[in-house]
Amino acid sequence: MKSRITAVAAVAAATALVLSGCGRSDTAGSQDGPAELTDGPATGTVTIWAQGTEGEALQEFVKPFEEANPDVTVEVTPVPWDSALNKYQTAVAGGTTPDIGMIGTDWMPGLVSSLQPTPDAIDTSDIFPYAVGTTEFDGVRHGVPWYVETRLIFHRTDLMEEAGFDEFPADWDGFKELAEAYKANGAEYAVALPAGGWNGFLGNLPFMWSNGADIVSEDGSEWTFDTPEIVEGLEYVKGFFDEGLADANPDTENSSNAANFVDGSVPMFLSGPWDVPGIADAGGAGFEDKFDVAPIPASPDGTSTSFAAGANLVVFDSAENPDAAWKLIQWLTQPEVQVEWFQTVNALPSQQSAWDDPVLSEDPKVAAFGDQLESVKTAPNFSNWSEVSAAADTYVEQIMRGGKDPAEAMAELQAEADSMGTGE
Amino acid sequence: MTPSSTATPVRRRRRRLSLGRALVYLGLLVAVVLTLIPFVWMLLGSVKTQPELIRRPPTWLPETFTWDNFTAWFTRLDFGTFFFNSVVVALFTVLGTLVFCSLVGYALAKLDFPGKRTLFGLVLVTLMIPGVVTFIPLFVVVSKLGLVSTYPALILPFLAGPLGVFLMRQFMQEIPDALIEAARIDGASELRIFARVVMPLCGPALATLAILTFLGSWNNFLWPLVVAQTADMYTLPVALSLYSVGQNATNYGVLLAGSVLIIVPVLLLFVLLQRYFIQGIAVTGIK
Repeated sequence: MKSRITAVAAVAAATALVLSGCGRSDTAGSQDGPAELTDGPATGTVTIWAQGTEGEALQEFVKPFEEANPDVTVEVTPVPWDSALNKYQTAVAGGTTPDIGMIGTDWMPGLVSSLQPTPDAIDTSDIFPYAVGTTEFDGVRHGVPWYVETRLIFHRTDLMEEAGFDEFPADWDGFKELAEAYKANGAEYAVALPAGGWNGFLGNLPFMWSNGADIVSEDGSEWTFDTPEIVEGLEYVKGFFDEGLADANPDTENSSNAANFVDGSVPMFLSGPWDVPGIADAGGAGFEDKFDVAPIPASPDGTSTSFAAGANLVVFDSAENPDAAWKLIQWLTQPEVQVEWFQTVNALPSQQSAWDDPVLSEDPKVAAFGDQLESVKTAPNFSNWSEVSAAADTYVEQIMRGGKDPAEAMAELQAEADSMGTGE
Repeated sequence: MTPSSTATPVRRRRRRLSLGRALVYLGLLVAVVLTLIPFVWMLLGSVKTQPELIRRPPTWLPETFTWDNFTAWFTRLDFGTFFFNSVVVALFTVLGTLVFCSLVGYALAKLDFPGKRTLFGLVLVTLMIPGVVTFIPLFVVVSKLGLVSTYPALILPFLAGPLGVFLMRQFMQEIPDALIEAARIDGASELRIFARVVMPLCGPALATLAILTFLGSWNNFLWPLVVAQTADMYTLPVALSLYSVGQNATNYGVLLAGSVLIIVPVLLLFVLLQRYFIQGIAVTGIK
């Protein structure tokens, strides 16, 4: 029996070869220019792949679209999140893609060469700018952001009050004091922070961003890992490990954050909107009143900035019915439809005006995510980001677990990243 | 004192024997318990609620007993379709493998023709190539044949695996040539010899191959995931992953209930074929 992890890795590698070998050249996509949308209703069959709960609920959800366009049939295939990227990559290699795919923002650089540019008729001006940015390559949009997400600090309000805090602090010093107070009040650790491993750097990046840092220069031509802002951010995070406020060897299983949070042993962690219902569920009846979400604390010179991601709806080059596909995407990303979609699967709308709807604005835990989304950054849209990210992860581990000096580590990372380039 | 002194040696020998035995049994019991714990955990977990499943410290017996995880598979999710797909794929993969691998194995073991050694060498070479290397080319071939999202796409690529050919060839080589020659002298055709003389002698090898192929097919995830492009062609492992493992959260109850449902047929098969299973392991041990 072959190991699945090796299998997945090898498939990814093989696909990368296939994609770069036989795929069209980088400029081909933009050469054709975006297609013009026809007037009149959508017709024919549109196939769409969607992952997870989205995939389960979408077939039922698109009924109004089918009623408004009597000659169209939408065929939804739910796809497991596990190995979904493999499925898209092999479909591209075999020329058997659906018309529409649901592509995680971090998969965009690897798949963009097989995606169609967005027609000019589709307006994305009201969508969160960072989200539109994840679809843009060489200034050309490829797809439309469907849902957005960002990370906030989940914290136990009941234990916070016991520890003597009425309000969640917004700055670095206050956050550290709160952590110390949680621990003094009996928590085993105050906050769950990544000490290394996959995306260990990205997981701590919000603290550096909230110190005014950036990992890429403004024009995207070079990495900026060795800046004082990054180093200070890492020193701040390192303090939590050095003082025993964060566990340097945490249980990385998905459910451990929830378990530690519910039993109070680690009363703070960073997570996304999916954990609001997830934690309420894990804690049982009444638990939703015992926790809240708060923005990332900022340094004295910075602004609270968190990490954002999400998924885009894209149309593949090999789509058989692109016209109807874009019309379906246009419908799915309307603000009113997005509000309904939020009520169906809890996916946060990419259209900013949808957030004015009372369904979102009157739920404080949801609205908090909307506020943070005003100030977010995302992983760079470079094809070699995953390699640079992996290199950064090993340095985070050396700093947090091994006690390495952040300035020294970042100087080494800078040299390593420079040799890889920015993939632009 | 005296009566007991005559009895002591006997009793002591018995006691020593039973102590040794007790230790062996104890060791075996520990091993059995260790092997069973994950299964018991899975069974008990499948009737627990999500909060209880992720609670710490974990509970052994469910506090709130629920069938919800199982009913989800039969009401909200289309368990019947996924089960049917898995059975069809496993059945035809096993039958096909038994026929084709033993045909090729017979030719390589007992027939003389030019290039036989080279052919067998090629089979051995493909045995060395990891499946992932041929994964994408295989998918491209299947899609060019227009087979994506069909049963043949799920079955054909696994019909004549090199391991099966190798296993059958090695086993058939041990069958005495005299038997085959006797049949030939009696005027039996080559196909008749294969079907009536050789195959009946290959029981243990066929059973081994059938079990290995069945387990491989039943548990296969990546190929069905990629090649089935509509949900009605998904097999059980793909459905299990689809409905229980999210991007950021896992529904452990549905996952465990689905695992129970997937494992039951395998357990039944094992109980039915237990005798062959053990023989089969002996066969693979002989080489």
